[in-house]
Amino acid sequence: MGKIWSLLFLLVLIGGVGCFLVAPSYNLTLPQDVSSHGHAIDHLYVFILVLTGVVFVATQAVFFWFLWKYDAANNREPVKYTHGSHTLEIVWTIIPAATLLFIALYQMNAWASSKMRMPNILPTVEVSARQFEWRLRYPGPDQILGTRDDLFHVNDLHIPVNEEILIDLKSQDVLHSFFLPNLRVKQDAVPGMKIPVWFKATETGSYDIVCAELCGWGHYKMKGRLVVQSRQDYDRWLQEMYKAQAQTASPPASEEDN
Amino acid sequence: MTLTRNLTQQLFGLQSCIGLTVLVCLFALTGCDGSPPARFHLNMVAQSKERVDEANQQQVADILTAMFGTPDNPFVLPETGLDINKLRRAAGPVSSDKIGQRTGLYREHCVHCHGISGDGMGPTAAFLKPYPRDFRQGVFKFKSNALNAMPTDEDLMRTLKHGLENSAMPSFEVALPPADLEALAEYVKYLSMRGQTELALIAQVFETVDDDDKDKRLLSSSREMLLDTVLLPIAEQWQNANDSVVRPEEPPADFGSLASIEKGRQLFFGNKGGCVKCHGTTALGDGQTTDFDAWSKLVIDAKAAAEGTIEKQPGAREALSKKIAEFEARKNKVGKAEPFASPEAEQEAKDSIAEDEKTYVENEFFSHMQLRAIDEFSLPPRNIEPRNLRMGYYRGGRRPIDIYYRLATGIYGTPMPGIAGPAVTTEEIWNIVDYVLAVPLEPGGQLGADRTMAARERN
Repeated sequence: MGKIWSLLFLLVLIGGVGCFLVAPSYNLTLPQDVSSHGHAIDHLYVFILVLTGVVFVATQAVFFWFLWKYDAANNREPVKYTHGSHTLEIVWTIIPAATLLFIALYQMNAWASSKMRMPNILPTVEVSARQFEWRLRYPGPDQILGTRDDLFHVNDLHIPVNEEILIDLKSQDVLHSFFLPNLRVKQDAVPGMKIPVWFKATETGSYDIVCAELCGWGHYKMKGRLVVQSRQDYDRWLQEMYKAQAQTASPPASEEDN
Repeated sequence: MTLTRNLTQQLFGLQSCIGLTVLVCLFALTGCDGSPPARFHLNMVAQSKERVDEANQQQVADILTAMFGTPDNPFVLPETGLDINKLRRAAGPVSSDKIGQRTGLYREHCVHCHGISGDGMGPTAAFLKPYPRDFRQGVFKFKSNALNAMPTDEDLMRTLKHGLENSAMPSFEVALPPADLEALAEYVKYLSMRGQTELALIAQVFETVDDDDKDKRLLSSSREMLLDTVLLPIAEQWQNANDSVVRPEEPPADFGSLASIEKGRQLFFGNKGGCVKCHGTTALGDGQTTDFDAWSKLVIDAKAAAEGTIEKQPGAREALSKKIAEFEARKNKVGKAEPFASPEAEQEAKDSIAEDEKTYVENEFFSHMQLRAIDEFSLPPRNIEPRNLRMGYYRGGRRPIDIYYRLATGIYGTPMPGIAGPAVTTEEIWNIVDYVLAVPLEPGGQLGADRTMAARERN
């Protein structure tokens, strides 16, 4: 009887490893990375995955082997109790502690470059999270936020490619989280705080902006679009938007009205 | 061998078989019924306000179904000018076909706030401020044309694309392809025309009096009545939306300058514009704050009409009870009660009670039913708050032309009046536009250069 249970536990090992093996063929791995710093994040992810993966396989295999070998139905000898091994306990405390310490030190550079070494540039755009949309404000031709020429937009964030981007992240109501999966950027938006977020996109294209913090009933649809454009296209887009926002005339009457 | 047998017993034992069978039966009983087909609700607030009786309500409902179909299967007469293909795309349950084109767009994106009938009473509506729009009166706030005109297609598309800032109406420009948005705009027009047709039919109920029985009002279902009297005037309003688009002269040369803003400020706080009455002497929207919008007013009026009837007959219930008790006493010769002199006298007293009962039930009982119907089919009225202009959001858009429309023609369904007229010139309106755009940038405004917040500035 016990051997069936040990086989079930073996399935955890096979299933767990299997999921990761078949994931790439179903396109369930990390989304395409189009940022200059994303490789550091991905490297940490893979590094920690492999480390924990090895431990997972080893512990699950040992677990299975014990269940199989010491099945009560086939072992009639009385159970032996030991007082434990001091040396063993020290070893299995020090190895994980050292590993955690290593990871803590090893990731510091990646953390610092995405959260601490803010580039000394003017903000490209102010992103204001609100239930359930991303309100955007570009500083306009004078490059200063809070003046008459500010450009307002919603959910459709355009940025130039291969340029350092600085975002002022705010929230108008509750906690949100500004998540750009393709740029490996995720930052909580906190009411009352202006939090800087920076990154550099390396490929043009259209990517998702999603909210990664449960913010209310409409959280699921708090989705925006990030459009990475060449400098030329970006400038053209900005010009069009300025023109549209400064409109002082009604649309021309169509011919059928006459 | 032992292992296999054990496993087989465990998994396919008798107990498991019974359990599985029960599960399958339960699923068959509960899981596959499906929900009943969606249907439009009547505008119970308007029906109650006008005291339309049940027979007429049913008749209005049947005529509406004949003219507009059902939420799953919409239908339009060619006179409406609506495109049935667009409507079919927006209507019905949510699904997508083989090439991934989605139908049921209204129920996917709009219904949870605006409701299946377009009554602004979806499940989330009660939690929103402002309430979602009730389309059924044909009253739309943000338009480029005359105050009481229907919105142009472009106006509706603009609202769908950009949303209404600082309300719960989201922007759909990124989420949906243009063809889907057009289908939704068409569906909004459809729900609106249907709602307006219902209101017109309610008005017709009182025009049509049956010759044989004055109490019994029946609607004619003739083509002339339904098309010429009811539908065509509504369809025409929609088709003529473009005729009254406001096309102002270009703003003065100094538009955007400090001088123009200053002129706007003088007008805003002066008597000519009349802005401070509601927007307050601080532009914080703290002037007149006790008014209501058109949608709340309808609910308030309907309730007042029902309550008014009750107040008209104070003590009616007690009087009737007393009369009945007296009648019973006389009939059964109880105590000192004087017996009826003749069967005719008894009959007369009985008739008198029946007459009183009729009045009582018609007035009081019916009014309570009305109140209940209004409560069930409306949200609690709220005061309309004049815009706090220092916040820096403009629901109908922040282009100068948008603010010009709001100022020149007003906002339909709200106390905001249009100020264009002989007293205020186009140039002066542009000056006020300038000031309204500048208010949130003034010190204390929400859009000005960054004030010191509890900001986490890093280096």
